[in-house]
Amino acid sequence: MTTGHNSTLADVLERCRPVPPASPNILKTLLAVQSALGHIPMSGILQIAQVLGVTDAQVAGVLSYYSDLRTQPTGRHLIRACMGESCMANHSARVLRAIQDYLCPAAGDASQAERFTVDTMSCAGNCAMSPTVMIDEHLCGRVTPSDVPSLLEAQVLRRKTEGGRPKAED
Amino acid sequence: MTPIRLYLSNDSSSRAAGAEQLADAWRDRSEIQLIHTSSRGAFFLEPMVERDTPGGREAWFNVRPNDLPRIVAGVGGTKVAEIPFLQQQTRFTFANFGITEPLALDEYQSRGGFKGLAVAQSLSPEAIVDALRLSGLRGRGGAAFPVWKKWQVAQQTESEQKYVVANADEGDAGTYSDRMMMEGDPFRLIEGMMICARAIGATRGYLYCRYEYPAAAWAMQFAIQKAREADLFDCDDYPFDLEVVIGAGSYVCGEETALLESLEGRRGVVLAKPPYPAVSGLYGKPTIVSNVLTFATLPNILAQGGAWHASLGTEGSRGTMALQIGGRVKQPGLVEVPFGLTLRDVLDRFGGGMAPGARLKAVQVGGPLGSLFPESQLDIPICYDAFAGAGAILGHGGIVVYDAETDMVDLARHFMAFTADESCGKCTPCRVGSVRGREILERIQSGQGTSEDLMLLSDLGETMKSASLCALGGRAPYPVLTAIEHFPEEFRLKAKG
Repeated sequence: MTTGHNSTLADVLERCRPVPPASPNILKTLLAVQSALGHIPMSGILQIAQVLGVTDAQVAGVLSYYSDLRTQPTGRHLIRACMGESCMANHSARVLRAIQDYLCPAAGDASQAERFTVDTMSCAGNCAMSPTVMIDEHLCGRVTPSDVPSLLEAQVLRRKTEGGRPKAED
Repeated sequence: MTPIRLYLSNDSSSRAAGAEQLADAWRDRSEIQLIHTSSRGAFFLEPMVERDTPGGREAWFNVRPNDLPRIVAGVGGTKVAEIPFLQQQTRFTFANFGITEPLALDEYQSRGGFKGLAVAQSLSPEAIVDALRLSGLRGRGGAAFPVWKKWQVAQQTESEQKYVVANADEGDAGTYSDRMMMEGDPFRLIEGMMICARAIGATRGYLYCRYEYPAAAWAMQFAIQKAREADLFDCDDYPFDLEVVIGAGSYVCGEETALLESLEGRRGVVLAKPPYPAVSGLYGKPTIVSNVLTFATLPNILAQGGAWHASLGTEGSRGTMALQIGGRVKQPGLVEVPFGLTLRDVLDRFGGGMAPGARLKAVQVGGPLGSLFPESQLDIPICYDAFAGAGAILGHGGIVVYDAETDMVDLARHFMAFTADESCGKCTPCRVGSVRGREILERIQSGQGTSEDLMLLSDLGETMKSASLCALGGRAPYPVLTAIEHFPEEFRLKAKG
């Protein structure tokens, strides 16, 4: 997300190579790849399978099963609106709409897509602060639709000054 | 001048409420020293700042950075012991919350920490299970299975390797007590897991934490490292070690067989039981999988005795329950009370009524698979048997209050869509039934539905209830069917034909 992704797939896999008698752990390996590269490229499935000594179908099966494993790169900031029941009860759908309206003024705006990825999540465990928006790993609570623009800008700027990946275009 | 000690919660939700901004704003103020504690769970008052006074802690509520002079001057504080939301609770499992620094091992020990483990070490494994039997403790994750029965099976199964696994895949929306425990009192969870390890003869433990809880996973890793450095895992020459494993966003991994599949790195698919994990679990070895709060309840039970625990609560539901109030209430937060209060009591006494301008429409207890209660049915006592009798579940103690603006058809569609998304695909009633259920509800929502669709939905619900492999498919129809039962006119209005 906001950290630099400089390792290569081969580097990561070298660190994940199972040492007998430990059995290969596909999920752990995929999470390590995602944490290093930001996503798990579909083109890497065969290489991952070979290092782990499992079939490519097994790797693809695990990859497609878990919703937090991403096969596409995300924008520099991942914005997730919580759609858990407590947030729903506090009308989080309106917050999501406000985020979409603010970040997607024109369909197909590539520069915005590089900057932000908007997604939903099913519960952030922040239910006493509903509605919740998670910006990268930062939890925001009691979010109203009118808070959205200032919140997004403040959080993005804040992370930049805190030494997240320095990006002039943030 | 000695700086004034101010206590500020470091819980994720407190930080989201503004505790983080306070810490940033006050970082360089020499007149104060900030102590980062766990949260008391009164989240509607957060960010809350406390300081010591001769009469005990005083608190300032919903604090903003420019409130500091007032706090330093000691003006306008409220005695913590007189906050009604906290005063009326019975805190045992959450007794340290708001008081201690979560990662300070010495503070945990000075408040009775590891006494339960010491007692367990003085008992035979069979006597530990007996204490549990006497306590009447039932699993806090949702299934409410008697804990001692599970332990006895694992204890009596011969194996050179056994495992203890904490289920921290707190996926039910509306619940956050596991997250609070891991962030706020991690040594309590570690102690509970060690008591279990001792009882069944396990030497290795895992904590399976959901991907959405990075702060909780970090706190647990830190606490485990501290426990290891303090040689706590080596006590009486009995080796034990503990590892945190992160999930990747699958609700059904909260089911124990799916969780173990995921822990081994595979798709988190539910397996048919038997064999039960207590006989053949992780890597085919006897394994106890229990919820975070189940483990966190154990230190007190061992330290104070099974009879003490059994003296709290009701006939079939012994002890206290951590309820988590959310949705459109005035006072959302965590409440620990003995079983037996009615749902209405809890909402009135602790929830403080509805948020300004909102009117109550329905209350859902037990997460996305929990039944809906209309206003007229809130007098149900909070205990396992009363809920089971009403076809409902207490689950993990999540209570979500919906207001009059809630569109029940859309909510029902949301529930079915959730199951369709999260179904592991192993059994047909859940895999196909949830998709068909979602389609029917989408049809009704778009105005294309008929009264036959409502009958079809009820038929489908019955099939899913009786033929699904696990609680995801088996419980998924309940919120939908209770929505139709209690708010039939909304469905009829949209399904005219």
